[in-house]
Amino acid sequence: MGIVIAVISGKGGVGKTTATANLGLGIGLNSQRCVVVDFDIGQRNLDMILGLENRVVFDMVQVMDGEASLKQALIKSKVSEKLFFLAASQSKDKSVLESSKVEKLVLQLKEDFDFVILDSPAGIESGFEHTIEFADAAIVVVNPEVSSIRDADRAIGILDSKSNKVKQGEEVAKYLIINRIVADMVESGEMLNSEDILDILDIKLLGKVPEDKGVIDASNQGKPVILDKKSIAGQAYTRISGRLCGKQIDMKDIEISDSGLFKKIAGMFR
Amino acid sequence: MEFFLKSNQYSVKVYETTIEDEEKFIEFFETNYMLFKDHLILIHGSLSQKIKEYLEFKSLTYLHNVELPKGRSRKALEEELQIERSASAVSVQIAEAKLKKISSKLQNNLTVLDTMVRSGQEINIEGDLLLLNRVNSGATINIKGNLIITNVVEGAVRCSGNFMMLTASPKANIIFHGVEVENDLLKNKLNRVELKNNEIIITPVLKKEISWA
Repeated sequence: MGIVIAVISGKGGVGKTTATANLGLGIGLNSQRCVVVDFDIGQRNLDMILGLENRVVFDMVQVMDGEASLKQALIKSKVSEKLFFLAASQSKDKSVLESSKVEKLVLQLKEDFDFVILDSPAGIESGFEHTIEFADAAIVVVNPEVSSIRDADRAIGILDSKSNKVKQGEEVAKYLIINRIVADMVESGEMLNSEDILDILDIKLLGKVPEDKGVIDASNQGKPVILDKKSIAGQAYTRISGRLCGKQIDMKDIEISDSGLFKKIAGMFR
Repeated sequence: MEFFLKSNQYSVKVYETTIEDEEKFIEFFETNYMLFKDHLILIHGSLSQKIKEYLEFKSLTYLHNVELPKGRSRKALEEELQIERSASAVSVQIAEAKLKKISSKLQNNLTVLDTMVRSGQEINIEGDLLLLNRVNSGATINIKGNLIITNVVEGAVRCSGNFMMLTASPKANIIFHGVEVENDLLKNKLNRVELKNNEIIITPVLKKEISWA
């Protein structure tokens, strides 16, 4: 039996889908069986970031309605044979989701994979609620800015009241990824630092991802940034997916810029 | 038929005075007109026709014998108590009896919570509440009784009990008995906000961080 992880954020545009794609690939590269499911029904984009847009034939709504088998709909990644992808439907909207159908699909995926990663839609409407309903754990993606933190806080509140696991008296594990950190801005106090964010959200830190211009280009080309060994964001996602696969990897402090570090070292010899 | 309720809230500067010498009062206002032209003038005691006409002529907005809700510092109240004390021993006894009354009402149906109040969540409690965790931005707490929060408050708090104990809360929106408590008054590590004789009094309890090392 695998673990079901919902990737949530509350606010849109913080990098949920990018994080899902990179973590899925990172887990696959760690030789664990992984499936990423695009739950953002009506607005498909995970397929593009994974570079699989041309291969989508059947989507997850068709699987839930029995129009296609799961085997037909799952798409194997070009990069890692351990990673599979299930596309969102573009013709239907979020209202087609039904709890019983979602549960059946999630249980089926759980049987076959070690990790089932669900990319949640932005916001806190029904699509979001269905994503978190049968999740064992959640990864909360935030940007170091107040609006993102507040929306994430709201999303965590809903997760803690509406998830199936919570209703059964258990707890949903929650992990935080702070995305798009700019070291210079954290140092100058313009950007929230991770300690303040952790104080507010009070969940476990899974990793910090620095701002990296390469991410956009990587998404456009359908080659997730984790494949670029030189990219700092890619390295961060490699560390995070390692942690998810049970490896002990220390937190790297990316909130100190190179110039800041240089000043510190220079200060020591003064 | 639909009704629209339009309302605005303002903070205005108030100049509060009692007129003893009319000539001096007018003279004072003549020289300081620029300073007071945007103030709300609050006059206690008698108000003669002459002064009224003067204020209207200068188009100054004024109120006569009105009590405004306001947060007052502990020091001011203590000074007042001191004056009362010297005036009559009886009034001191009354004042002290009132203080005792408040402490006897401290507990009614105490709820203790150690959950985080997240954005969008709302807590409504009839009795007292002891909250050991954060109130995040966007969360609301409505309490009929007394309230003690030992962690950071960034959300909204509405309390109508006898007192509140709050940590430094520069970002919170705190309303005590319908009056907004200014964040500037809650700068200390721990602050007590209480209602005494229809006045809101804010007392710093802990001024600095205590370190045990």
